[in-house]
Amino acid sequence: MDNFFLWLGMGLFFLVLLCLYRGVFGPGVLNRVAAISAIGTKTLVILLIMGYIYQRVDMFVDISMVYALLNFLGTITVAKYLEMSGEI
Amino acid sequence: MTRLTDDIIIRAVARIMIPFIQIYALYVIMHGHHSPGGGFQGGVILGASFILYLITHGLEEARARMSELKAGIFSASGLLIYSGIGLLCLILGSNFLDYGRLSLILKVIPAQARSLGILGVEIGVGITVMAVMFSIFFDISTGGIIPEDEEIKEENG
Amino acid sequence: MEVTVLIQTADKAFEILEKARNEARELLYSSAKIASETKSLEAKRAEQAFLSGAQHTKLAIRNYTLTFFMLFAFWVLLSGRLDLFHLTLGVLSCLLISYLSYDLLFANVRIGDIRIMFKRFFAAAPWFLSQIFTANLHVAYLALSPKMPIDPSILRFNTKLESDISWVALANSITLTPGTITIDIRDGEFFVHAIDKKVASDLDTGEMEDKIAHVFMEADHIYIQDILDVSRIFGELK
Repeated sequence: MDNFFLWLGMGLFFLVLLCLYRGVFGPGVLNRVAAISAIGTKTLVILLIMGYIYQRVDMFVDISMVYALLNFLGTITVAKYLEMSGEI
Repeated sequence: MTRLTDDIIIRAVARIMIPFIQIYALYVIMHGHHSPGGGFQGGVILGASFILYLITHGLEEARARMSELKAGIFSASGLLIYSGIGLLCLILGSNFLDYGRLSLILKVIPAQARSLGILGVEIGVGITVMAVMFSIFFDISTGGIIPEDEEIKEENG
Repeated sequence: MEVTVLIQTADKAFEILEKARNEARELLYSSAKIASETKSLEAKRAEQAFLSGAQHTKLAIRNYTLTFFMLFAFWVLLSGRLDLFHLTLGVLSCLLISYLSYDLLFANVRIGDIRIMFKRFFAAAPWFLSQIFTANLHVAYLALSPKMPIDPSILRFNTKLESDISWVALANSITLTPGTITIDIRDGEFFVHAIDKKVASDLDTGEMEDKIAHVFMEADHIYIQDILDVSRIFGELK
């Protein structure tokens, strides 16, 4: 079962790399913001998988909740900034 | 960031989320000795909840809930808790922030007194971090312009 | 022969259902009317009897206690330590937080409805999950097929829903279903981006809106579940 979760985490890591390509080279700010938000979501799942592998799920759940909160807040802030500054 | 927008979705979701974020922040502060976290991390989460309120509900409503004056009082009182516990240890005849001596007042064994003392210090740190983070964000979002100044200027000019 | 009999019975059944529906609608309308009349009378009496502040204080106390208990349940769920020390800490923090933000969580919720709302929500949840699952499969097919047969479009529709919280629930469940994203809500008009004709037509049937309206008990919609509820009461009356 550990092996399965390890491979699952590797697959998610590959998907994070795909999102990172969109975040670095993506045309326009909006693509980059969406890519960063998607990376945050995937990182959250990877953190939970790491918690399962290290057998400390209770600890990693706390960390991933903070990560989700800061990801949400960051995306909203950037979106609000783009709306207010009239770039889009 | 400073005007009242009509984003119904964001406003409603933030309205529902904010109390849970705050209770989570207090959980992180209080359980710093069992799980990851502590004063600084919990304070950051608590400050993030107020920042979320400011972003979604506009500057005026945020000022009604947590003004600059309140943030200043909170940051000072957090520091007061921190240094008060430290000075209490100093007065009781040991080093600064040496919580073992608090057992004389709390009537518990020194190990438990250390745990309680650390909890008090973490609470103080959390309050200060929350207030300072919020006031920094407040200053950035107002651009350093305080409304009283504007009113005075208008009255004069 | 058998087919015509079947069609006739189906017609009859539909007729009966329609009649029951109309009856139920009239009944609900009249009851809603009575309720609103008594409510306005009560409000008038309350205005005469109390100062305007008294009602507000009552509402604030109700919100305060409700928020406190909800937050305390969340605290116990997070903490998992049931000794006296941690529970006391939890009570203190919940008191502090419900003092700081008692007016946020239950801003405009009618309190008597919450239990029915929960029941209906859990009854409607499997439908939403199945909808999300099928839409997931469809979008995966779109993404994996080499021709990429997408046809993006923006839908605009006016919703029947009334309260802001049900707007948000509808918008979030549209966004949660893959292939459709709610862009904005302006005065009850939804702007939805759909990736495909099929997804857009699924949304246009308004089934999701009906479900949301049923969960949040919006007044002027009648559903089969409502008719069943009313018919049970009819049986008791007879």
